Amino acid sequence: MTCAPLAAALVAGVFAAALAAQPPRTPDGKPDLTGVWQGGSTQPGPWAEANAGLGVGGTGRDPNAPVVASSNDRPAGREGAPYQDWAAQKVLEAFNRRGIDDPTGRCLPAGIPRSVMLGLFPQQFVQTPTQLVILYEYMSAFRVIPFGTSHPDDMLPSYMGNSVAHWDGDTLVVDIAGFNDKTWLAGTGTFHSDALHIVERYTRVSKDRIDYEVTMEDPNVLTKPWVLRSSLMLREGTRLQEYVCAENNLDLDRYEQLLRNGVDFTRN
Amino acid sequence: MKGVRLVAGVCVAALAALPAAAHHSFGAEYDLAQPITLTGVLTKIEWTNPHTHIYLDVTDDQGKVVSWQLEGYPPVALHRIGWKRDVTMKVGDRLTVTGWRARDGGNWGHSREITLPSGDKMMFGPPAGTGDGGGAPAVDVR
Repeated sequence: MTCAPLAAALVAGVFAAALAAQPPRTPDGKPDLTGVWQGGSTQPGPWAEANAGLGVGGTGRDPNAPVVASSNDRPAGREGAPYQDWAAQKVLEAFNRRGIDDPTGRCLPAGIPRSVMLGLFPQQFVQTPTQLVILYEYMSAFRVIPFGTSHPDDMLPSYMGNSVAHWDGDTLVVDIAGFNDKTWLAGTGTFHSDALHIVERYTRVSKDRIDYEVTMEDPNVLTKPWVLRSSLMLREGTRLQEYVCAENNLDLDRYEQLLRNGVDFTRN
Repeated sequence: MKGVRLVAGVCVAALAALPAAAHHSFGAEYDLAQPITLTGVLTKIEWTNPHTHIYLDVTDDQGKVVSWQLEGYPPVALHRIGWKRDVTMKVGDRLTVTGWRARDGGNWGHSREITLPSGDKMMFGPPAGTGDGGGAPAVDVR
């Protein structure tokens, strides 16, 4: 007898919760991706809470840390990246040098999809009816992504590429071309050529979460398209701040100094 | 019970999926096989990018004071996990720092956790292995 009101209350509560979790929409009815996001995470909540106790970063080989991945690691649970044999050897060489050739170690922009999937730094999406602007705290990089247009025919090769987007239902599809060949894709040594072409799919599946799928094509180094999936989590209350990587970058000199002093840190 | 189990499962998956950035190679500079725990007096903090550094005067077994340099997260990352510059820790504070020593055996290292004078522990640097490529290359090489 007392179950019916309780059940009704439960249903109403679940319904209200479901409504609150719905992805917001812009006045023109499109999903609104606006917000500050943390790449690669599946943990909801404000930044400090979502990252409490973990320490953001690392591979989990610290016995005191949970298993977490860094953007230099092989993406978890994936088959090997589909590199052509000669190119796979080059990726392996970079791995054996423990990633000291990482372009971000020189404070260069991290490129795509690395900038999207890394978790230590937030990224802010600002969506208008005609474009999406993404600001990356990491390396102070940005993307201006117009909707419903094609790439210009005079693209200059760049670290972050030239992005254009269109809506496929509730998914924003971003096409990126015009890359230089100076970034790593996902994992140590994952180089590419300037023929790189990327298609990203952003789907805001709930208020808190964007599902991210990225397809990388590069006929010069890959044997087939390389597809990775990840997610971005809303970080309400987080604000982007200044990160000037070149301020006091000691690492390159240290690598050289260690090698000069006979400290062989390479994998054999 | 079913609901509880489901929530627990989701939490485990979430912990396992958290990724990160890496500015440089842990494994090139630091040695996973040389974990260190240092207790000493904070003499200087460099709130700089891409990494902060703290300097700690540590008295060794012979009574000699040795200055250690320890690296940590960039200031923005520390700020977001609750560090307050010039408030959370100050020059003169006695701290205990865990981390890993440099490969060359010098008095410098990579910090992980700091125990403050209050006894509170706070993360100051990422786990070992950040940025050096992890356990396996991105490619399957035959």
